[in-house]
Amino acid sequence: MKAAPFEYVRAGSIGEACEVLQREGDAVKVVAGGQSLIPMMAMRLVRPGWLLDINEIAALKFVAMDKDAVRIGACTRQSTVERDQELAARVPLLRQALAWVGHIQTRNRGTIGGSIVHADPCAELPLVARVLGARMVLRSTAAARTVEADAFFSGPMMTATDANECLEEVQWPAWGERRTGSAFTEISNRHGDFAMVSAAAQLSLGDDGRCVRAAFGLGGMGQTPLAFPQLAQRLVGTRLEDEIVKSVAHDAAAQSDPGSDLFATAAYRRHLAGVLAARVISAAHAQAGSKG
Amino acid sequence: MTTQFRYIGKHRRTKEDPRFVTGRGRYAADIALPGTKHVALVASPHPSARIVSISTDAALAAPGVLTVLTGDEFCARTDPLYVGVDAPKVTRYALARGVVRYAGEWVAAVVADTRALAEDAAELVEVEYESLPFVIDPEAALAPGTHLIHPDHGTNVLYRRKFVWGPVEEAFAKADHQLAFRATWGRSSTVPIETFGVTARWDPVAELLDVWASIQMPKYPDQTARALRLPGNAVRVHFDVDVGGSYGVKRGIKHTVLVGYLAKKLGVPVRLIEDRLENMRGGDMHGPDRFFDMQVAFDRDGTIRGMKMRAVDDVGAYAGRSPLQLGKPVGAICGPYQIHAIEYEPTSVMTNKTPQEAVRGFGQSPTNFAIERAMDRVARQLGMDRIELRRKNLIRRDQFPYLIPSGSSYDSGDYHTVLDKALEASGYPALVRMRDEARLAGRLAGIGVATCLEPSGGNASFELLFNPKNETTTWMDSCLVRVDLSGSITGVMGTSSSGQGHETLVSTVVGEILERDPATIRVIHADSLNALPSNSPVGSRMAIMLGGAAAGAARKIRDALVAIAAHNFECSPEDLEYRDGNVGIKGAPSKMLSWDQLVEIAHRKFHKMPPGLDPGLQAQFVWEVPTGGGVPTQDGRVQMYPCYAFEAHVVYVEIDPDTGKPSIRKYVCGHDCGVMISPDIVHGMTYGGIAHGIGASLYEKFAYTEDGQLASGTFMDYLIPSSMEVPDIHIVDHCTPSPLTTFGQKGSGEAGYLGAPAAIANAINDALDPLGASIDTLPMSHLALWETITKATKM
Ligand SMILES: Cc1cc2nc3c(=O)[nH]c(=O)nc-3n(C[C@H](O)[C@H](O)[C@H](O)COP(=O)(O)OP(=O)(O)OC[C@H]3O[C@@H](n4cnc5c(N)ncnc54)[C@H](O)[C@@H]3O)c2cc1C
Repeated sequence: MKAAPFEYVRAGSIGEACEVLQREGDAVKVVAGGQSLIPMMAMRLVRPGWLLDINEIAALKFVAMDKDAVRIGACTRQSTVERDQELAARVPLLRQALAWVGHIQTRNRGTIGGSIVHADPCAELPLVARVLGARMVLRSTAAARTVEADAFFSGPMMTATDANECLEEVQWPAWGERRTGSAFTEISNRHGDFAMVSAAAQLSLGDDGRCVRAAFGLGGMGQTPLAFPQLAQRLVGTRLEDEIVKSVAHDAAAQSDPGSDLFATAAYRRHLAGVLAARVISAAHAQAGSKG
Repeated sequence: MTTQFRYIGKHRRTKEDPRFVTGRGRYAADIALPGTKHVALVASPHPSARIVSISTDAALAAPGVLTVLTGDEFCARTDPLYVGVDAPKVTRYALARGVVRYAGEWVAAVVADTRALAEDAAELVEVEYESLPFVIDPEAALAPGTHLIHPDHGTNVLYRRKFVWGPVEEAFAKADHQLAFRATWGRSSTVPIETFGVTARWDPVAELLDVWASIQMPKYPDQTARALRLPGNAVRVHFDVDVGGSYGVKRGIKHTVLVGYLAKKLGVPVRLIEDRLENMRGGDMHGPDRFFDMQVAFDRDGTIRGMKMRAVDDVGAYAGRSPLQLGKPVGAICGPYQIHAIEYEPTSVMTNKTPQEAVRGFGQSPTNFAIERAMDRVARQLGMDRIELRRKNLIRRDQFPYLIPSGSSYDSGDYHTVLDKALEASGYPALVRMRDEARLAGRLAGIGVATCLEPSGGNASFELLFNPKNETTTWMDSCLVRVDLSGSITGVMGTSSSGQGHETLVSTVVGEILERDPATIRVIHADSLNALPSNSPVGSRMAIMLGGAAAGAARKIRDALVAIAAHNFECSPEDLEYRDGNVGIKGAPSKMLSWDQLVEIAHRKFHKMPPGLDPGLQAQFVWEVPTGGGVPTQDGRVQMYPCYAFEAHVVYVEIDPDTGKPSIRKYVCGHDCGVMISPDIVHGMTYGGIAHGIGASLYEKFAYTEDGQLASGTFMDYLIPSSMEVPDIHIVDHCTPSPLTTFGQKGSGEAGYLGAPAAIANAINDALDPLGASIDTLPMSHLALWETITKATKM
């Protein structure tokens, strides 16, 4: 379990990193926290010609509160984000999800950007990105562009990131509604394992207790994490009665096409999806309701 | 209970902890001899194939490569590895020759300057294969006309025999009721953090092979020498290497023969440290993979009259000692119960899977699981309380020594009391209320109880029972104790330790006998050329065997000191009193020779020595296993292990009915292993054993795909429970001393593991009971539980 030979370069700035990417293209792998990449290299499942280390680039490590969104630098550690109180207040779903990402030790190294670009269909952060409609800022030597989550995740471990691009930051929309609640849950065999199925929801209530805004999604149910904006729309205007919640959750599960593996069959996943979707919607509702 | 002891049974700092806790352990990977070269392996991607050709040219040309070894050369120059049963045609070497028999089997070994270079070159070895049929399912492997793993052997069956002990048919005919079911134990193991590692160095002048390895194996130096065609005294195994986890699996014999051969061939030190992938797939360390067809005959009042157990164990593609894991349970085949008629039909079968190795309990935990599932099923069928059923059938404390139908005599026990203590500690009535309230609230909740034995003391009677050509009837161990001129004490043991705390054991025991502070006693590991005979720390035996030997040696020292004093006081030893190492005349406190004075006489003053006593002060003690040495009768009855520890588990679980996710909410283990020499070590063993049992029952499995590939070859798929899955565990001690051992101790190296899977399976089944569902296959994964629940609720 030793990586195949590779060249190593440590970039001091985003510009420098982009130059290496421009020059070497496909042969480069960016290493951030290394929690996914290094094991794959050790098993020789990935064999980059170049390993581009972005851990020294200070400009990739920040948490900035904008009016409508929170911007997080790609190389910001997951544990830093997890501990940020202000961020937890503005994008609560992010902290709720982070508690499920691996273990405290992996979160001390693992980065926000690494998890997003790794794009495991069972991973928590990509699911939150899709549910909230996060925006990814990709930088190359020529320019920077912003890609919406819907367009960003294109398949299992595949994203819209081009070979000459580095993820610079992720912008997480913050909802302004006062009575907003969110919830994240998942089923995995052991705590800290990748989820068999995960579910995330965020919704807001009006003063009359009716739902005025809703978003939810499922992880592990397809090639990418899935969001269900149209089904979520069915929740808006309701009082989120059990019946409607169950029906929406059921439809979401029915619409997905999950795979089978050692630990979960497609039938089990679909069943879990219905259960978990209903649970997060109800939990988010309860949380929003408590801000009465 | 242990107040008559000074050091035994006390909470004292263990000898080993300071070394391990401060990171000063010295493991196989810490052995760094100058000029060491490194091995990487080429593994078969096929479960079964003919090797058409191997081209090593490109690999040999790669940077830093010394050699590429294949099976043709290796198998011609070494001898096959030992087989535990009479199956001489089931030959096994470290490298495949001609055919491969499981995915992951080693086909070639590359030696290079570094492990990374060796791996680079290993990718360049070109092997051409021609696929052959394969068989993964043990029942398919038993069917006639199936693919033969070893055609020369003529069958896939390695061992099969039907034992009948007592009037079985009569019991079944006369009993009020019968039941039958199948219980399946999944292929799991002990999977230590440290994989197997070995370094070997050949000295061509001394003609001596030095070996440093992460080893826990009986007769390892001997088997290494034989396979390498060397005299026994040409192999020196250094037993002072710390072992980073084992519980049976650190056998590494094939690795050692391979590395020994390479070191000799190349004239440089060579080392192989398995990586995780090699360890899981090709390390030959999977555990029992077994199903039981159980039949029980019982009366209306709950009396168990007879039991039939057919056990089929899939040992994978080769046999070492693995078939014998069906043999050890013969020594506790009726569990802690009075069952007078038993039929046992063990079948050991080969498939195209990774070979099996010894795992904690040597086959006893699966057997306990099957027996305990049977007890619960009987209770359920009778509508009887499971605890009452157990109380009714448990051997009573006034019945010891108790002879079971298969020939072993249980030494001692107080099963009813231990069960009661465990129930009390669990707050049983409240636990039942908790369960019933949870059920009313729509949750699936269950309580599991299991009462199981841990046979200990490890003789090897099953070797002769399973193979008449193998007349092994002793499984001795020994200890050397020496007192140097300064009066310091050193204990020498003849084997390695893999986490059992032998240094604490020996120093405590020697300190107890000599009345000297164990903290001042050093304990070292000999190497195999200067070691006294040992059979290594297997079979839960060292507290009994090494502890007994250390005590025996210390007693000889004590007797020598008393003899010296008697000689100098010109009195009889009976007039003397030994206290704290000093010897004085009874009733005359001033008439005393101190420890230092006595030691000085022994080492320097021959003129003050009694005639017949050797100068210097050291003693050795070699001990045969108590009650050991027996030969099986015609119908296969024999005394197995001497001592029997008992454990009673009480577990509370809940299962989320919507997801199948189980969670263990309460865990109590009542435990009686006689006198505990170090209670902290015993408790540590028990905690770990229960965690291991949680893994075997709910999570861990070496799963295979339909095309014969190992599907769980990393820790992403082979699921060892973490601290998040293991609940608080409450251990309740009880002490019924063994009449057979030095201090009344019994073994506890397998404690917890021998009952936890049974208890958890019973708890899960209790939780499923209101649905009318049951599950008897381990591990009970979330998926399996959900499927069981779904099937039941749809009906
Ligand atoms: C024991 C364990 C448990 C785990 N459990 C989970 C879990 O439950 N859920 C989960 O989601 N993950 C889990 N993981 C995986 C891991 O924690 C995440 O995928 C992760 O944190 C990735 O971030 P990283 O910074 O370590 O990325 P790296 O491993 O460094 O990189 C991952 C990928 O992203 C690319 N990349 C990284 N940064 C950039 C960038 N700025 N621009 C372009 N490309 C980039 C890399 O090239 C690589 O392809 C676990 C890992 C371990 C070891």
